[in-house]
Amino acid sequence: MFRRAFLIGVTSVAMLATWPTWAQDRPRVVAVNYALQYFAERLLGDAADVVFPVPDGVDPSFWRPTIADISMIQSADLILLNGAGFATWVDRVSLPRSKVVNTSASIEDKYIVTESITHSHGDGGEHSHDGLASYLWLDPLLAIAQAEAISSSIKRRGLAPAVEIDERFQALKADLEALDNRARESLSDKPVSVIVTHPRYQYFARRYGITVKSLEWEAGTAPTPEEGKELVALSEASGAKILVWEAAPPQAALDLAESFRLKSAVFPPLARRPESGDFLESYNAFLDDFVAAQSGN
Amino acid sequence: MNALYLAFAYLRYHRARSLVLILVAALIIFVPIATQTLLSTSERALVARGEATPLLLGSRGSQLDLTMAALYFSEERPAPVPMREVEAIWDSGLGVPIPVHTAFSSNGFRIVGTTLDYFDFRALALNDGRGLSLLGDAVIGADVAEVLGKGVGDALVSSPENLFDLDGVYPLEMPIVGVLAPTNSPDDAAIFIDIKTAWVIQGIGHGHEDVVTAEQIAAGTAALAEAAVVQYQRITEDNIDSFHFHGSQDNFPTSAVIVVPNDTRSATILKGRYLDADGPTQLIEPAGVIQGLVDRIFRIKSLLDVVTAIIAIAAVAAIGLALFLSYRLRAREIVTAVKLGARRGMVLRLLSAETVTLLLTSAAIAAVGATIVSRNAEAWVGWLLALGN
Repeated sequence: MFRRAFLIGVTSVAMLATWPTWAQDRPRVVAVNYALQYFAERLLGDAADVVFPVPDGVDPSFWRPTIADISMIQSADLILLNGAGFATWVDRVSLPRSKVVNTSASIEDKYIVTESITHSHGDGGEHSHDGLASYLWLDPLLAIAQAEAISSSIKRRGLAPAVEIDERFQALKADLEALDNRARESLSDKPVSVIVTHPRYQYFARRYGITVKSLEWEAGTAPTPEEGKELVALSEASGAKILVWEAAPPQAALDLAESFRLKSAVFPPLARRPESGDFLESYNAFLDDFVAAQSGN
Repeated sequence: MNALYLAFAYLRYHRARSLVLILVAALIIFVPIATQTLLSTSERALVARGEATPLLLGSRGSQLDLTMAALYFSEERPAPVPMREVEAIWDSGLGVPIPVHTAFSSNGFRIVGTTLDYFDFRALALNDGRGLSLLGDAVIGADVAEVLGKGVGDALVSSPENLFDLDGVYPLEMPIVGVLAPTNSPDDAAIFIDIKTAWVIQGIGHGHEDVVTAEQIAAGTAALAEAAVVQYQRITEDNIDSFHFHGSQDNFPTSAVIVVPNDTRSATILKGRYLDADGPTQLIEPAGVIQGLVDRIFRIKSLLDVVTAIIAIAAVAAIGLALFLSYRLRAREIVTAVKLGARRGMVLRLLSAETVTLLLTSAAIAAVGATIVSRNAEAWVGWLLALGN
């Protein structure tokens, strides 16, 4: 009884939301990255609008929403967070807890802790921040766990019939398992060391036993001469033969890598919608690239 | 008609005495009615707040302190409960938990750190401005706005815990982004902030000079920063990105947790989970606690009723005596009237008309007063209850 009255209130407030663009009848789900948006779209079909609010050209992990963005997000029916330190803005924004879902809550024990930062201020003494790798969905099994969390929350809020959600989840799970099988067959039997242009691929590397050395290059741009030197040094130190770009670089950059005897493969980290294809197509395209690079073609 | 005319003329001629009698009689009628109205409205207001809050989770200890702190934002400071208790209720799927952090105040008004779910739960509407959006935002109740003369665009500063508290609780300046519509409830006298802002006041979260950026923290690429750096006391557009929290949110404190169970069965299951007397937390029904308090208060009310009744009897007797003495003083006047040909019945009608006119006037005044009290009872009771904070 209490719950029903409360939910009616919550729904009424949501319906009174004044973001004109979204003034429509269908439920709205907000996702903090493309991977979660893709999973939610697969699960919901046409039952709801799934919104990824980050504008083009902005890193979704470090996006700062405007008041209008926050108002739109607050009035959504479901807010899908990634957890693992992705989208730091959620710590600085007021969100209705009843609508928020941390999709990685059940896999926190699988987080990868990166470098720890220690500092001090005030009278609190010295303390540390653990950095966490956040691109969980690049490990398809962790992606399944996130999709399952989304599926449960959609059912709990009644955004679509439970039977349909279960069927769609099974289909999505099967697709991700097939992706994982393909990646394992392509990658896991061959110990390989790669250089990546940005530290995004920790979960992918752990899943398939790949040794990854990371650069800090801007996505989609040609490296500067200093960055070129850094690449050479890292290539010699690691013995890596493959350079993974997070976005397609200019031809000059590919030629530069080739001149250092590094084969290139493009693997969009899928925090944003890829320029072409969807989550699975983009991941599969990378596997094609990677296999080709390994075989030296 | 002649009797009424003569009675009115007599009362008007002796206007001072008539006025005193009318006022005394009006007070005798008005005071018990007004007292009953205010007390029953208080009882309803107190019990309604408790009944509107199905369950309350808090540290084991005084149930009254817990209820007063979480529902009425009183000075009581129940021992904090960790946020993992909130998550445990979410995970159970049996209800909606709403944390309430009431440890701090500003300008004499309690700062209430909570989540947006609280506003939906209490059906609080904005009169001006917008709701909580960013870390540091404050939304104030109607009484806070009126008493402090503040509104959207102004700022509030949290009070330091005490003068000697140098270990983290620094004043934080918070911009007022919204003013709530009045509700005649303790919410009118509260300053609402996101619970994360309450943790910033508490020193669990903070922003400081750009030694380590949030981006570096998330990427895990920042170097060791050894120097102590200056913390910000105001959250602005320029420094908000430097604000961060230490440790797991599961361990962060809240004063109490309002729990809205899905249904009666869920409420029963939840209550069963917190029955262990040795456990660190308790789940209580605030309505029961408030009802106990109200019953205690209203036992005193019974005494008050007796006192009122005795005073009323004494006052009625005094008025009766005053009328009797007045008739005695008028004995010669009555004899003269009889000699002029007035019959005994005419004299009686004349005296009765005077008494009835006097009492009806008193009753009319008392009725006007009672109507005013009745119409404003909720507002006045809300104000009186807020005074208690």
